[in-house]
Amino acid sequence: MPGECLPDDVQILWREMEMSSLTFSPDQLRREMEKLQVGSRRKSIIVAVVGWSLIAAFAVFFFLFDNTLARIGSALSVAGFAYMLVYMRRAKWRALPDVGPTECIRFYRTELERHRDSCRGMRLWSWILIVMAPWIIFNLGFMQVHPEVAPVLWFDCGFIVAAAAFVAHKWLSTARRYQDRIDMLDASQKGS
Amino acid sequence: MRKEPPPVVTTSNVGNVEPRQHPKTGQNEWYQQAVGDYDTALDRLAHAYEADPDRRRDLLQEIHLALWRSFEKFDGRCSLRTWVYRVAHNVAASHVIRQTKWKKNAAFLTLEEAEAQPGNENVEVSADRHQALARLLALIQRLELVDRQVILAYLEDLDAESIGEITGLSTANVWTRIHRIKNVLVRQFHTGVRDAR
Repeated sequence: MPGECLPDDVQILWREMEMSSLTFSPDQLRREMEKLQVGSRRKSIIVAVVGWSLIAAFAVFFFLFDNTLARIGSALSVAGFAYMLVYMRRAKWRALPDVGPTECIRFYRTELERHRDSCRGMRLWSWILIVMAPWIIFNLGFMQVHPEVAPVLWFDCGFIVAAAAFVAHKWLSTARRYQDRIDMLDASQKGS
Repeated sequence: MRKEPPPVVTTSNVGNVEPRQHPKTGQNEWYQQAVGDYDTALDRLAHAYEADPDRRRDLLQEIHLALWRSFEKFDGRCSLRTWVYRVAHNVAASHVIRQTKWKKNAAFLTLEEAEAQPGNENVEVSADRHQALARLLALIQRLELVDRQVILAYLEDLDAESIGEITGLSTANVWTRIHRIKNVLVRQFHTGVRDAR
């Protein structure tokens, strides 16, 4: 066969690839890990500040408005954002197996399942409901108090519903893509 | 009575030594040894997973970081080579999944699709070894991850048993995939690589 020796040629070609000669000393890696930890702490602080600001704002609205619906909306928003803060602090993604002892195919499948699960189920619907429902209830209450801004608030409600529908569609289609890849992976293992 | 000396653990026999007999080797020492032996292979692996130079640098750093951290748990149940490749491929797989999470058209080629692609007829273009290498990389970067892992291990001259140990595929499955990958390579690169010499 004319191409019999070819794979060796390709292997040689492959190993001739020019390298970037990047090197990392253990000290550099340790510093890099500390930098990552600082970055992750900073992210948590930003999320906490934003979350607590929203909680404070809706707590103020609760006492500011005399309308029942606006108060229910404010109270639900406070509860919703508090739940989100607790969820983000405590709920971890499904843990990945250790990278060293785990065979690649098992690791890959777990990683796909993890990403799929992050885009569907309770995680998706709880986020959407927690943000959307109290906001709409609050807007309805606000409309009763200030009917002159009703058109703007209806637009706001429509925007929230549309955004939630878009996010749900995007996440669910992403989850489906992950499921397709998992199915393909299973089929390819069975097929060979 | 004369005491037997403890077994000497080297890179080549570490997988054969019982974990309890394993002398205490530090995380840094294992890392240095792994880098000494597989530095260029890791670099090539990063090329195969990431085309963008900046993101490739990040990926390579991520691999090194994961490798260094993983040696806290390295117990010698598998060879150093198997461990290094597993860590590198697993980190790279996470990287690819993260990078393509929201990309709707980020589908990878299955081996069937790669086989169905037309062979390369453009001898003039592929006569350049750089061009041939670029095309090889482009093909690998489009392959589904498991096939990518097999082809990379094959290009690094690992045997089917070692590839099976790294990926978790059966040896027969690895053989089948290697055979099919060879066919794809023959169709895509024979003319180019031969003429480039």
